[in-house]
Amino acid sequence: MPDEARLNDVLPLTSTVFHVLVALAEGPRHGYAVAQEVEELTEGRIVMGPGTLYGSLSRMQEAGLIVEAENPGEDGVHAERRRYYRMTPLGTAALRAESERLLRAARVARSRLGA
Amino acid sequence: MHGRGDPTRGPGGDGGGGEPRDLVRALYLGLLRLYPAGFRERFEADLIQVFDDRRREARFSGAWGGIRLVWFLLGDFVRSVPMARQWAERMRRRRDGQGRRERIMGNLLQDLRYTARMLVKNPVFTLAAVGTLALGIGLNATTFSAIHAILLRPLPGADAPEELVQMYRVWGGIEYGSNSIPHFQDVRDRTGDVYEDVAIWTFAPVALSADGQTERVMPLIVSANLFQTYGVQPLLGRAFIPGEEDRGPGAHAVTILGYGFWQGRFGGDPGVLGRTIDINGHPFEVVGVSPPGFRGPASFAEAPFYVPVMMQREVMPGSDLLEARGNNSFNMVGRLRDGRTVEQAQQAMDALLVQLREEYLDQYDDQLGNKLVLQSEAGIHPSFATASMGMSAVMMAVVGLLLLIACVNVANLFLARAQDRRKEMALRLSLGAGRGRIVQQLLTESIVFALLAGGAGLVLAWFATGALNAFRPPMDGPFAFYIELDRTVLVFTTAISVLAGILFGMVPALQATKPDTMTEVKGDASAGSRRSRLSSGLVVFQMALSLLLLISSGLFLRSLQGAAQIDPGFDDPSNLVTAAVDPGLLGYEEAEARQILDRLMEEVAALPEVTEVGFASWLPLGLSNSDRGIGIPGYEFTENERRSISYTYVTEGYFEAMGVRFVEGRSLRRGDDENAAPVLVVNQRFAERFWPGESAIGKVVETAGQEWEVVGVVETGKYQRLGENPTEFMFIPKRQRFYSGTTLVARTPSDPQAVLGRIRSVVRGIDPDMPVYDLRTMENHMGMALLPSRLGGIVLGLFGLLGLTLAAVGIYGVMAYSVSQRRRELGIRVALGAARGEVERMVLREGLRLAVVGAAIGLVGAFGAARLVQGMLYNVSALDPFAFGLVPLLLVGVAALAVYLPARKAARADPVGALRAE
Repeated sequence: MPDEARLNDVLPLTSTVFHVLVALAEGPRHGYAVAQEVEELTEGRIVMGPGTLYGSLSRMQEAGLIVEAENPGEDGVHAERRRYYRMTPLGTAALRAESERLLRAARVARSRLGA
Repeated sequence: MHGRGDPTRGPGGDGGGGEPRDLVRALYLGLLRLYPAGFRERFEADLIQVFDDRRREARFSGAWGGIRLVWFLLGDFVRSVPMARQWAERMRRRRDGQGRRERIMGNLLQDLRYTARMLVKNPVFTLAAVGTLALGIGLNATTFSAIHAILLRPLPGADAPEELVQMYRVWGGIEYGSNSIPHFQDVRDRTGDVYEDVAIWTFAPVALSADGQTERVMPLIVSANLFQTYGVQPLLGRAFIPGEEDRGPGAHAVTILGYGFWQGRFGGDPGVLGRTIDINGHPFEVVGVSPPGFRGPASFAEAPFYVPVMMQREVMPGSDLLEARGNNSFNMVGRLRDGRTVEQAQQAMDALLVQLREEYLDQYDDQLGNKLVLQSEAGIHPSFATASMGMSAVMMAVVGLLLLIACVNVANLFLARAQDRRKEMALRLSLGAGRGRIVQQLLTESIVFALLAGGAGLVLAWFATGALNAFRPPMDGPFAFYIELDRTVLVFTTAISVLAGILFGMVPALQATKPDTMTEVKGDASAGSRRSRLSSGLVVFQMALSLLLLISSGLFLRSLQGAAQIDPGFDDPSNLVTAAVDPGLLGYEEAEARQILDRLMEEVAALPEVTEVGFASWLPLGLSNSDRGIGIPGYEFTENERRSISYTYVTEGYFEAMGVRFVEGRSLRRGDDENAAPVLVVNQRFAERFWPGESAIGKVVETAGQEWEVVGVVETGKYQRLGENPTEFMFIPKRQRFYSGTTLVARTPSDPQAVLGRIRSVVRGIDPDMPVYDLRTMENHMGMALLPSRLGGIVLGLFGLLGLTLAAVGIYGVMAYSVSQRRRELGIRVALGAARGEVERMVLREGLRLAVVGAAIGLVGAFGAARLVQGMLYNVSALDPFAFGLVPLLLVGVAALAVYLPARKAARADPVGALRAE
């Protein structure tokens, strides 16, 4: 179980980190697939170039949110050479905590807007 | 999955993109260099992969797409290069800091664990190595702490000892002269701009009475400001009061007890203040106790108590120094004012001398100048500085050599073990361990050994310094050493231990990591040759050092023998007894003292065992020595010629009891007393210097304000040291110049010890309170003169024996090991028909060759060492044939024995077994 202290170190998540974690929540992905998914999730607001993508991934790996994963060896010859990432328990916990914070914030916002 | 590139189209193979996109790709590859190397190494392939993926996206195709892609990538670089740089920096720091530290510490811990296992696993090896080294390190620590305590360390207990300056006066022939009380008072009162305070001190014998017992002790007579000058606070009570207790002769019968005396006599009783002690029959009130750290102004003695100089007449009855400007018997020390230098003090003293010469017309004519020495550089006494530093250097060199021999032995042990571990090392090297890593491990081992040995050595040094502190030299005075294993000694010991560890660890470590790994792994029987060459070198070295030590100690032993053959100028000292009394100490006036001494002489002369008896104020070859300036009518002294001559006061019977032979003239008679014309006996050297080629009888000597007629000339003897060159000497009739301090000499053909007992009862019969001291035979008295040489001989002899033992063990170890390594070769030789005697001779020859080469080198070193110690030798040439002939033979003999045992074993080798063993 990731402890409180480490969790508090990584929270709150930046928008990019949050969406990368969302992209990895379904299972391991390689870098380009993560970028694609983030773009789709954010409706084109976050389009990561190669450097930004690996810069973010390396930083998240350093923070212990994600780790490199075994290459599942599926889809396509190029897939063989790609680095895959998956979430760590800390990443999962962070994503959960962040989503709950956003939900609470959204709920407050919506009730105040009278929705 | 979205937008996954079509695997059938390789990067750059997109017909639609064409040239511009290839250009973009090339540009991108070039721009990747903007990322730090660590980031690139890790992600480059992925970055290019993603670039290719992106490039194939619809939005980045076509000419506009190409431009959009470039724009997109520029934005990407702007955002990601700082990120990547930070990441790389963090990685680098983590690796460097934690990583390297952890690696080294981890290695060290691993090595330490390994070493600890080794220590326990091979207890014999551990004991041999640690024990040998501990001996060497302990010797060094002891010697160093003694030298440190006596010569190097600033005076213990004194505040800011670097500000203390000792002041001496220079006369013709005397470089470090003492000071008189009136002179001191002038210096104290007139050098206030350079000195904060100026104090004087001297030791003087007194009779101390307590509980009906009287004994002779040596307190310090000091100026009232002594404690202030040294910056010492009394433990109890008060110090003397400057300005008050340095005025009014005889008015301040107060004393401050030394800490040791207070502990010993009064059991550390704090109620001692206000009590009195009886000094020469005068009660002195105890007003203070000095603190335990301060043992007085001399580093080699501890005063039982202190008395103000104003009480000088009571403490030293019969002499009045308070007004005697010309009577110089005090040491003078000043404390420099803040910011003042020794040079400024020197100028002030020189300027004062010019003034004093004008004020006291005759009194300062002879004084040539002043000599100022920092307390910290003074040692025992500056006039011994060269000799004592030389002696210390010789001692340190000797114990250093012994440690070196010990190191060589241990290096050999390690080398032998390294041989056994060669396969281990070779395997580790071939598995990729760095050479530095293995050297680190081996050095860790040897330094751990050395530190263990250093600890054991300190324990040895603790015992040894305890013994030295308890040692009381057979000399007149409160001589005591105060040797401590203080921080300086600890630092010194640690340093030499580590140095020793590196020294004996380095050779085997480098050796162990040098081998050709392949032959080692395969197990080559001939690989031991390099190692044995190295240890052969060590054996040669060791033999040379041992020879050097043994020859030096041989020289000292020969010197002792030689000293016994020196003619001291008197007959057989074993049948001569001495006893000292001083009626003046008990307050007897001169007339009474004369009667007492006459009675003493008569009663001792009447003893049936005594054939001759006489008095002297002090005896030759003791520590006491006095000299006085003389004038000879018709003889002109040159400017720097020494005009003071050593002398003693003697009575009739002295020359007869001592057995001093007359060359011409007569001996002293009972009638040569205060009522007769002043007469004098001089020695032959004196007569030859001032009246060459003439008879000295009837000639006149002017001294002590009188003219003395020479009535006798005696053979020149030895007066201060047995090794001294012939020196002028005069004998002044004690009856014509009364001096209360008296040493009786009596010759007896029977048991001297019985006579000593009789003399003691005689003295007690005359006055039971009169202390009698120095009761001993003349031979024992002379023992003091022989002490340096005797100590030197004993110490160096012990060291030499130790060195010889170590060298013998070393050569045995090397030969035994070499034989065991060559079992196969020797076995083959025997199997091929070599006679056993032949094999034995071969091994013997090899071992002896090492011993002889070592001995030859040692001889060369010993010639140099002999020249160094020449000054300490009596009656022995530095190239003494016995020392230089016998010692090498002895050494080679011992070496032969050490070689013979392995040789015999080699010859007995069972050839078949030896072959099978491989």
